[in-house]
Amino acid sequence: MLRESQIMKIHYMTGIAALFVVAVHILMRLVMPFNLSLEFDNVILNYHNLPYAVLLESILVLIAIHGFNGLRVILLEMRQSRGWENFVTVVTIVAMMGVIAYGTRTIIVANGLSLG
Amino acid sequence: MEVYDRNNREGLKGWLNPGRYGWERVSYWLQRLTGVGLLVYFVGHVYETSSLTQGFDAWNAMLELTQTPLGHMILLLVIGMSTFHSANGIRLIFTHGGKGLGKPGRPDYPYDPVSLNYRQKSGIWVALILAAVAMLYGASVLFGGE
Repeated sequence: MLRESQIMKIHYMTGIAALFVVAVHILMRLVMPFNLSLEFDNVILNYHNLPYAVLLESILVLIAIHGFNGLRVILLEMRQSRGWENFVTVVTIVAMMGVIAYGTRTIIVANGLSLG
Repeated sequence: MEVYDRNNREGLKGWLNPGRYGWERVSYWLQRLTGVGLLVYFVGHVYETSSLTQGFDAWNAMLELTQTPLGHMILLLVIGMSTFHSANGIRLIFTHGGKGLGKPGRPDYPYDPVSLNYRQKSGIWVALILAAVAMLYGASVLFGGE
């Protein structure tokens, strides 16, 4: 079981790492006119680019960990009891894993899609 | 005997009350509100992007739903929230590490907290100004007609 201080270090590290990878993700939308960058073929080409697909996966994992741990902290600040703490921890971990699994599925499927 | 039930009796009301602690409380409040807002957007964005797997038509249908003036306004809000959350989050990391808090001193009337010094206050303002600048840039991209 991780100590709360260790969890907060993970929270800070995932936050800072997310800053860098999200910056690259946004830059990819700005290398061409915004509307063009969202066209189906351009987006699929992004997913075919393996380093970029890995970057998307890292964004997914980093933000899911940071976001759901942040939610856990907020919920624990509002109310404290053994039952509530266990409930919040389990729910946020399950939600985090669900979002990561769903997003990973999109990345894998889109990586194998052909252009429209 | 260990006490297990330590309920915060103020609950949400106590969490949302920015009145008693000045700027630090406003920053605390905004950090959490922007965090929750960004988490909601993140989950929505993961769902929105999954329409890609259903092909060209599903992707375009999703774009028709999101690439609207309202969708762009929501994106602008997300840009502002993410910039504030990042800048203020970096300030908080330094603060939690004890940087920029000043030295402890004797508490003299009117008991101004040494920890909430000009560095901390200017950090909060810098986060707010950066968020405003990022939103202006975002507006120029989203509504600039490119």
